[in-house]
Amino acid sequence: MIVPFLSNSVRSLKTPSGTLHFPAYVPVTTFGGKYPLDALIQPYLPRLSQAVMVSYYYAKQMKQRPPLPLMVDSGGFAMLFEGSKLLDRDGLGVLQVQREENPEILHPSDILDFQEKCADIAFTLDFPIPPGLELSESERRQRYTISNAIWALQNRRRKEMNLYACIQSWDAQSAAFCARELARHPFDGFAIGGLVPRARDWELVSSIVKAVRQEIGDRPLHVFGLGKPSTTTKLFEMSVDSVDSSSYVKLAADGRLWENPDFKLEDPSTPELLRLAISNLATASRTRLPLPLAVMQ
Amino acid sequence: MDHALLDTGFSCILQLPTGSGKTWLAKEAIRKSLRAGNRVVYLSPLRALADELSLKWHLEFEEFPVGVFTGDYGKNGRKFPVTYEDSRVLIMTPERLDSCTRNWRTHWNWIPEVDWLIVDEIHLLGDGNRGARLEGTISRFRRLNPFCRVLGLSATLGNRDELAAWLDGVAYSHEWRSIPLQWRTVHFKKADEKPALLATELRRVLNAGGQSLVFVQSRRRAEHLATYLRTLGINASHHHAGLDHTQRRTVEDSFRTHQTSVLVATGTLEMGLNLPARQVVLYDLQAFDGSTFSPLSVNTVWQRAGRAGRPGLDSLGEAVLLAPTWEKSAAAYPQGKFEDIRSGLNSEAALAEQILIEVQSGMARSEVQLRRVFSESLAAQQRISLPFDSCLHHMLDSGMIQKKASDKPDREDRFFATRLGKIATRHQLRPAAVLALRSFLEQHQKFTSFDLLVACASSGDCEPLLAVDFEELEHLADALGGENSFLFGHGIPASNPIPVTGKRLLAALKTATVMMRWTRLGDLETVAEEDGCYPFEILRLQESLDRLLLAAGAIQDLIDTPLLDTTTPTEERQKRVTPNQQRIALLRQMILTGLDESTAALTFISGVGQKWAGSLHQAGFRDLSSLAAATVQELAALPGLSSTRATQWIESAANLIHQPTLPPLNAPRIRTLPVDSDLPLDPYRLRRALDLQTRKVSSTQWTVSGGLEPHAVSVLQDQLSCDCLDHQKGHTCKHILAVRITSKDPVVTRALSMVNTISPKGWLDLFSLWFAR
Repeated sequence: MIVPFLSNSVRSLKTPSGTLHFPAYVPVTTFGGKYPLDALIQPYLPRLSQAVMVSYYYAKQMKQRPPLPLMVDSGGFAMLFEGSKLLDRDGLGVLQVQREENPEILHPSDILDFQEKCADIAFTLDFPIPPGLELSESERRQRYTISNAIWALQNRRRKEMNLYACIQSWDAQSAAFCARELARHPFDGFAIGGLVPRARDWELVSSIVKAVRQEIGDRPLHVFGLGKPSTTTKLFEMSVDSVDSSSYVKLAADGRLWENPDFKLEDPSTPELLRLAISNLATASRTRLPLPLAVMQ
Repeated sequence: MDHALLDTGFSCILQLPTGSGKTWLAKEAIRKSLRAGNRVVYLSPLRALADELSLKWHLEFEEFPVGVFTGDYGKNGRKFPVTYEDSRVLIMTPERLDSCTRNWRTHWNWIPEVDWLIVDEIHLLGDGNRGARLEGTISRFRRLNPFCRVLGLSATLGNRDELAAWLDGVAYSHEWRSIPLQWRTVHFKKADEKPALLATELRRVLNAGGQSLVFVQSRRRAEHLATYLRTLGINASHHHAGLDHTQRRTVEDSFRTHQTSVLVATGTLEMGLNLPARQVVLYDLQAFDGSTFSPLSVNTVWQRAGRAGRPGLDSLGEAVLLAPTWEKSAAAYPQGKFEDIRSGLNSEAALAEQILIEVQSGMARSEVQLRRVFSESLAAQQRISLPFDSCLHHMLDSGMIQKKASDKPDREDRFFATRLGKIATRHQLRPAAVLALRSFLEQHQKFTSFDLLVACASSGDCEPLLAVDFEELEHLADALGGENSFLFGHGIPASNPIPVTGKRLLAALKTATVMMRWTRLGDLETVAEEDGCYPFEILRLQESLDRLLLAAGAIQDLIDTPLLDTTTPTEERQKRVTPNQQRIALLRQMILTGLDESTAALTFISGVGQKWAGSLHQAGFRDLSSLAAATVQELAALPGLSSTRATQWIESAANLIHQPTLPPLNAPRIRTLPVDSDLPLDPYRLRRALDLQTRKVSSTQWTVSGGLEPHAVSVLQDQLSCDCLDHQKGHTCKHILAVRITSKDPVVTRALSMVNTISPKGWLDLFSLWFAR
């Protein structure tokens, strides 16, 4: 349940695993061993963040859930992988992903069923629209994004799981349209996708965010994938409630710190990668740095 | 203010006098962490202290599980009372935490949740053997858990600010004690005055209702002095590391409940334990450091003196120093100018071990990563130049680690631990120890059990060290005469693969004879009594030798099958077991069970342990052959043995005797050099005199030090006279001989030249070893 949005009040969202206070920087993590550094960072996440974001694909490989609110994304970004297809199944958008040799079919019901088992906040199956995509294909993807979201809301059985509708668009006008269509329904929140490849065009990003906020009123608003601290600050100022990103790890893997752009550690060891990632996450989530990390800089 | 230190967010070095609340502060830190949902690690320097704390804290933090992790648990079927994962407070010895950081991935389910690493007696960082390992452990733990703060506790640090800077923390100290400590120095002219002076000091306190702790330099002295005090009607007991945990606890409890008034102890009671002593007497101000007697450090004196006057247990505290009249340096002790704690990483052996651990654990894999690790060490903080380059090259050259090109083009070459390196880290042995074992096994395709035990006992990782007194040399010579050896059968070989000499080699020889006797007699008390050691020492040696022999077996496997890798199936490896590997495995069983070679072989049968092997031996089944020839009825007649099991054992024994047998060893007997009897002066005293230092005080007086006590030699009626007991008995004591050596007395010079020429080839000359410098 959302606490009413007032400019000077503290906004928050109750979830089965605890209350999420906004604005919130939500780190992305993975399970299954493909990214070993993620497994090392996970025990430290409760000290540094209020929630954690996992995509459907990696969440399925989760053996033990982290002790904090869990956001489970639909994994619709896989639409951008080579060989992926958007198929129609009775008016719903179904994603066919080519994993190794066998194609994998992701139906909105597969994702919702799984999210209801573990998610505190679930995101509906959406289809990203990269810049430059033909208009007809863009409109098709947006149409299925909307129909999947409404279907998920109608079929949600676990009411305490917060369901966010995903919004895909290519400009402010299309974003307003998508948001308007979805805002008619009692979603617990909304999430804007597809902004990462448009991040350099701040004018476009901000116009999309403004357009969406205009349509959804006080309900929580999440933005996928924009995790650079300077960007998140501006997004939060524009009344975005939460963002998620994995860039704190990616930057660490390169031996770099957000806090100090001139810093570059050559050939970091595993514990050094851990320290860098923790430090980056602390900067992004505005958590007080542990002292040994502060000294490292 | 002390309390507020815990909330600063910094690591802390707290230097507070003993009994002024360090433990209370530690408990406050623990409570706060537990309430916040975190965990705490508490490092205790002693196993007994860890056990004592776990019992207390189990009650104190009852809603939070308290686990204890020391070498006493986790093996031989003795499980940890609480698992790592379930423990919220983890009380450990530094060695156990070291092991956890080496295998940090398997401990990742609790390490990140630790909020405080409390290091009791953090001055251990300066301890030669354990210091570098503790430094490496703290360093790794902080890198694995950047949120963890270190709370270092000690009463005696000369450089707390420097230690705090190393930990990016703050230092705090005060000298206030709730029970003030008064210092007294009692002087003696002659060493034989000491017992009576001690009795006087003790009686003064005992008559006023107090109790006393007396610290002495050796176990024997603790026992003798306690016996002496009892003859005076003083209720005294002794306490030292030769007693096992139960015996120690009994003595401590007896003191706590005032059944014992005086406890005469070695350094074992220096740390941690809470005992109600009003008075602490430092009977000896010198200690044996492995080669000679040196003055006690200020830190040690204060650690011991700090035991006096415990809050809540006593109302007065008094420290008494017994010092010779001519020794003025004792006056400096009460001033409390503590020595600095210095990093132990400047030792190449210690640095090599830490490099190997970093590489094997995956915490640093390239040269630049390793350099960064040691640039943050305490050694670097203290600007100690580390032999990093030579050490790294030596590790590569000796095959402990190897270098491979990185699979990523922009990255440095990667280091990996070799099979040999992994043996060192798995068994927590220094690389030097593993290299010495490899050198021994490579050079000796034939070795006896005794030879291998000497090789193991020469390692710095073999504990405890059974030092040899000069008076024991004859006994040791007798014991060695009963051993067969390829190594020492013809004296000390020119290319001796044993990396120690002198008194250290004597200690290794003694250790090997003691453990060989243990495998023949199987009775701790008897062996200890015959060989002048303690049953508890034999038990601790079992632990050390178990690790070393496991490592030796793995090294032998590496020598025999250099191309096999760790992925080779176990069955395949077992098929390739060579006679030397069998010998090592058998020796390990002998050491673990206290059984001879034939009977120990019975333990290779599944289900036959030490007890059953002993029972079978008593029933006449003394080896595999006799067991294989037994009938089921004969075996099943043994109490507690079913017919089914008897059948299985007979079958197993039959299978084992059909495997290739170990070829016989025809090693020569050791011949020890006979006592030189034709000398004009007593050879024992003459050789011991060589070890002493003389100082001329006046034209007619000298002080002689380097022995148990300093002594005064003076000219009386044109004759040299000494204040020692030996001289009073009418002997020309070693102190007088030392003065005569210094004065170039012609008789002594001639005798010395005779002593030095006696060294027949082919004999093991224990005297030469004793006097080797």
